[in-house]
Amino acid sequence: MAPLNPDGPRMIDLLPHIINGLTLGLLFALIALGFTLIVGVMEVINLAHGSLFAIGAYFALTVIAGSWFAGTPFGAWWLSLPLGLRYVLALAIGPALAGLAGMLLELCLRPTYGKPPLYGLLLTFGAALVIEELIRLVWGTGEQNLALPQAINGAFLLNGMIFSTYRFFAAGFSIAAIIAVWLFLERTSAGAVIKAGAHDSEMVRALGYDLARLRLVVFGFGAALAGLAGVVMVPIWGLRPHVGVDIVIPAFLIIVVGGVGSFWGAVIAALLVGLAIGITGAYAAAWSTMSMYLLLIAILGFRSRGLLGRKSALEH
Amino acid sequence: MSKAKISRRGLLGAAGAASAVSLFAGPWQHNRVWAQGAAKPLRIGITADASGMYANSGASDKRGMMMAIAEANERGGVLGRKVEFVHIDTETTAATGSRVAERMISREQCGFLVGAVHSGVANAISQVAQKYGVIYINTNSSSPTEAGQNCHRVKFVFDGNGTNFAKAAVKSAIERFGPDWMLLTNDYVWGHDTAAATKTLLKDYGGKVMEEVLIPQGTRDFTSALLKVQQRKPGVVSAAIGGDDQKAMRQQVVQLKMGDKPAWINSQQDWDDVYGLPIETLFGVFGTTWYYRLDLPGVADFVKRYQAMYPETAMRSPGNVFYNGYMAIRELLGAIERAGTTNNIAVIKALEGHKISARDRMQHFDATIDAQTHQVQQTIYLATANKAPKEKDDIFEVLSQAKAEDVRDTDSAKLCKLEPYEQTPTFDA
Repeated sequence: MAPLNPDGPRMIDLLPHIINGLTLGLLFALIALGFTLIVGVMEVINLAHGSLFAIGAYFALTVIAGSWFAGTPFGAWWLSLPLGLRYVLALAIGPALAGLAGMLLELCLRPTYGKPPLYGLLLTFGAALVIEELIRLVWGTGEQNLALPQAINGAFLLNGMIFSTYRFFAAGFSIAAIIAVWLFLERTSAGAVIKAGAHDSEMVRALGYDLARLRLVVFGFGAALAGLAGVVMVPIWGLRPHVGVDIVIPAFLIIVVGGVGSFWGAVIAALLVGLAIGITGAYAAAWSTMSMYLLLIAILGFRSRGLLGRKSALEH
Repeated sequence: MSKAKISRRGLLGAAGAASAVSLFAGPWQHNRVWAQGAAKPLRIGITADASGMYANSGASDKRGMMMAIAEANERGGVLGRKVEFVHIDTETTAATGSRVAERMISREQCGFLVGAVHSGVANAISQVAQKYGVIYINTNSSSPTEAGQNCHRVKFVFDGNGTNFAKAAVKSAIERFGPDWMLLTNDYVWGHDTAAATKTLLKDYGGKVMEEVLIPQGTRDFTSALLKVQQRKPGVVSAAIGGDDQKAMRQQVVQLKMGDKPAWINSQQDWDDVYGLPIETLFGVFGTTWYYRLDLPGVADFVKRYQAMYPETAMRSPGNVFYNGYMAIRELLGAIERAGTTNNIAVIKALEGHKISARDRMQHFDATIDAQTHQVQQTIYLATANKAPKEKDDIFEVLSQAKAEDVRDTDSAKLCKLEPYEQTPTFDA
């Protein structure tokens, strides 16, 4: 392994990789938030989370490219709209439709409630396969490209290094989304009910809240977050039918490292995973994927409930 | 209801006849596909990926094979037998490749196996095929090991390999862009083998490797590697990155506006990986074995046949992966016709050393199936993004074409040790 600098590693050489790791971590956080919300409230490990991520991105593609209306007067009018406007609409419509798909999935999940967790796991795994095939049928098998407005596309020079403008936009967008979700959970009554549901769903039901509706809304919200992450991530990762598979493992790993159901645990874990991948990528690239698993082992080794996970009854 | 009774003599006779048949077709050194007599259809097992990293290329590979099979059946089949196919997804996974090969031979009664994009999968299938003596054609995996240390008597390799492409590119790239190279290498067999071939050539032509960055398979974020490229400032980056990894990398190189500087050499660019993407994602110089707008006899008609057979396919023009799948089946069936039998040894001998004219290959120069390595020695093209396309799909600009003998992989020829005929089980499909 060759050092970045023949005289040995210097902080100035490492800095771009730290920045890169942090931006990557913020993107991971966006993916993991919806996942942790669903696991926290529903106690279901949603293996179709990646597929909902993909659905959001594919609907965004349709909105931006207008492919479903190609050759019609509406299609021509649609494509005459500025790309920036279509992109903003895609940021809203993609996640909204992913949220609806998530709600549909939750309705399918209902018969599995109260049964061993394997039922839910298998159902969501099956749903992931079905969604991937549906994507192939509707959007085709090939690689697709999500066009970006010029203002956020391109690159800029900083201290002699080229950085991607979009990557920083995506990281900034992730910060805004994380804050918005946190404010929603902390400062609204609906958020309080969701948090309470994650803490003790039976108590929420005893207080008169409709638990079925709460689960439907939470699943839809989590799926919408997955869809939002999809729209934001695919200009970096590319868009293909099985793109969702690429994100399920990191997302799952992040919520375990952060502590299942913990909002800030997921955010911190995502940043740590991003940093681990970014820095390892600089010095031992072959280990960059492995580094997140090593991080998982290291953290669970001394703190089995993850960074900010709740204490189990056995620990009291 | 029949009134016939089973007599002791009849029973003994039947048992004797059954024993005689089992002796004739016993499993030792001679495997037989029971259901395939002379009048039975010839069944080909298509081992193409339908999921995983190379799902998209696998679909093209399969389409190419299906078109060749359909055309053969229109001509009346092979040796008077209709040609059928069975397809099972190899999932871009070596373990699945082994299982699929076992099942196709032992349960699906396939007489020949064809297809692969991933070299690990191709290697796994070929080991099973060699065990049974079933001819296997690796259509699209371009690791040098496939016709090198992992070669087999039953295996034929139809794609150009990393060494062929590197030979076509390295010398001129050193002269033009300088001796300082950085390698981005996918951390699996094809990546390592292709990088090894590039390193050898760099040494031969006076270039040097500043650093090799190993990229784990499944990497979606290349920013670390691309930052490192900026920090090291090489003249050339040689990338042996395949499949979905390559698609992600291309996207990120474009976002960083690094497509023009440094110079990029990509071992081979599969058509399926870039079809439909914006032209700016197609930076650098890359290799290919075929292009749908080559100005050669037969090419336009081939494209028309593709479009007629697959009117619903989003990919409106065929690429190198489709072409290799088509050529593999066509040459296999041609070899069976020449051999006049489906006996594996006879068909292998009909394939070994077989010369294919440039016209038949729809390439610039004649090709040969190398008797020593079983790799098709063929024209290798270098191409780049077409800045003046004649139509929507016209995204490649072919820069040069190299004759097979100029880019032959001599290292693989040294490493390949084909099993002797007598150690290869005979098999009659």
